[in-house]
Amino acid sequence: MSERIAVVGIGATQFRTITPDVSYKELMFDAAVRAYDNAGIDPRRDVDTFVTCAEDYIEGTSIFDEYVPDQLGAALKQVHTITGDGLHGVAAAVMQLRTGRFSLAVVEAHSKASNILTPDGVAACAQDPVYVRPLCLNSHFIAGLEMNRFCAESGVTPGQCAQVAVKNRGNALSNPIAGQAAKLTLEDFRHARPVALPLTELDVAQSVDGAVVVVLATESRARELRTKPVWLTGAGWCNGSPNLETRDWASPKYVTTAAAMAYKQAGITDPRHYFDFAEVDDTYTYKELQHLVALGLANACDVGRDVELGKTATKGKRPVNVSGGALGMGHMYECIGLARLYCAVQQLRGEAGMQQLDKARTAVVQAWRGVPTASAAVLTLAT
Amino acid sequence: MALKERINLPGEARTWYGELPVQSLYTAGDAGDRFLKTLKEKDQFMGSPCTACGEVYVPPKLYCEKCMAELKDWIKVGPDGALESWTEVHVGLDGKRLAQAQLVGLIRLDGATTSMVHLLAGAEPNDLCIGMRMTPVMKPAAKREGAITDILHFRPK
Repeated sequence: MSERIAVVGIGATQFRTITPDVSYKELMFDAAVRAYDNAGIDPRRDVDTFVTCAEDYIEGTSIFDEYVPDQLGAALKQVHTITGDGLHGVAAAVMQLRTGRFSLAVVEAHSKASNILTPDGVAACAQDPVYVRPLCLNSHFIAGLEMNRFCAESGVTPGQCAQVAVKNRGNALSNPIAGQAAKLTLEDFRHARPVALPLTELDVAQSVDGAVVVVLATESRARELRTKPVWLTGAGWCNGSPNLETRDWASPKYVTTAAAMAYKQAGITDPRHYFDFAEVDDTYTYKELQHLVALGLANACDVGRDVELGKTATKGKRPVNVSGGALGMGHMYECIGLARLYCAVQQLRGEAGMQQLDKARTAVVQAWRGVPTASAAVLTLAT
Repeated sequence: MALKERINLPGEARTWYGELPVQSLYTAGDAGDRFLKTLKEKDQFMGSPCTACGEVYVPPKLYCEKCMAELKDWIKVGPDGALESWTEVHVGLDGKRLAQAQLVGLIRLDGATTSMVHLLAGAEPNDLCIGMRMTPVMKPAAKREGAITDILHFRPK
C-alpha cells in the first residue's frame, strides 16, 4: 500500500479583473512564494516534481510548457505541463508521489485572462471545425442548450439558478482574494441582458487574473514539515464525449464517473451524508446544481429547491462554494479547480477567517473545463 | 504581493500587442465526406448504425464511440426530427451584442440516436418546446458546397 498524500502548502495571488502591473510569470512567482513559505520549503532544494496546467491558445504562446519552470524554482528539475484543469494536475502529481520515487510535488495553474483580447474567439476555436464552427456561434450557446435541457428534465427553474449567483457572489464578499464579489438580488436578474437564453450575463462567471500553487507531500514527508496536513483521500477524473452530437445534455456523466473514482479510493459509499462542505464548478449558475446531482450530493428533483431553502448556503446543512465559487471569485480558465482547492484547504485547516465553517473536516472539490468540454476532475479531502 | 518591487503608477504598466497567425485545413473524414456529399447531391441525411450497441450516429462515423465497433452500415435518417433543446444566442463570436439574435437547436433526426446542432428559424423562442417536430430547410441545390451550412436551418413542421 502506497503512502497517503497530503496538501502541505497553498499559495494564491489576489484575483483581479486586470493586472497590468504584473506579467503572468510574476503572478505565478507570487503564488509560488506564498505556497513555499506556507509549506516551509525551499523549492530549489526540496521539491522533487512540478506539474503546471495551461493551454497554448489561452496563453497566446506556442509550446507554453517551456515558459513555466523559472518562476516556480523548477529550472533543471522534473517539470511538465498538462492541458487540463489544475485538479487534473493534482491527480497527475498524486500518481507521481504514489510511485515512491518522489516525496514532494508542486502543482500550479493561473489565469492572465485580461491579456486575451479575443476570449470568445479562442473558445469558439474549440468547437468542431466541420460540423459546428461553420455556424458561427458564440460558445455560450452550448451552455444555453444544456441549461434548457437540464431545467426541462430536472424541474429546476432559471430563478433557482439565479439563486446560485446571489449566494456565491454574496459569499465572496467575505473572501479577501475574490475578484467578482457582489451583493446581487433576484431583481438584478430581471434586468440582466440575455447571453444564450435562458442564460443571462449574471449566470456566467466573469474572468479574473490570478494564480494558485499547491504543495503536495507523501505522508512521511508531510510529517517532517511544520504545516498541518490536509489529506487528499481520493482523486478522480474523466472525459465524456467531445462531440456535441453524442453527449448527454441533461446529466454530465463524466462528473459522476470522476467522482466514483475518487470516492472509491476514499472508501466513501454515501457521499450525500459524508461531506461537511463542497467546492464545485459554477462556471454557469446551473452547473453548480447539475454538478451537485452528478456528484451524488443532491437529487435532481430537489436541488433547485435546496438552494432556495438555503441548504447550500454558508449556514446551511451542507454549504456549497462558501468561497464564492467561480461566480464570486472569478473565472480562471485552468485555475478554476485549484481556486476551489485552495479555499477548501483553508477551511479544513481552520484558516478561512471570516468564511470559516464550524464543521469542516471533510470536503469534495470538483472542476469542469468549461464549454465545449466534457472534462472533469474530483478530489476528496479530510483533516 | 510577494514581489519586492512593484509598478505603482498606471502609466508605467506597459503591454505589447501580438497575434497568433494560425491557419488550418480540416478534414471531414471518410464518413463525414460521404455524409456531406449525399446531403448536397441527394438531399438525403445518412446515419451509421452500430449493430453491436444500437447507436445510430448522425453525422455518421466509421467507429462507435461507445463500444469501439467498426461501423460499416449506412442508413437513411430524417430529414425530419424532434427538438431536444434550444437557445437564443445574443452574443457574437467577438463577444459583442448581436443586432439579430440567433436561434439554435439540438435536433434528433428520425431514426438517429444522436442529435445535431443547427440554426433554427420560422419560430419565436416562446413557440419552441422540447419534442417539437422540426424539418430542415436546404440551400438551393446550385449553391450548395458540401458543407454543414448546406442546411440553412431547421424550422417547425
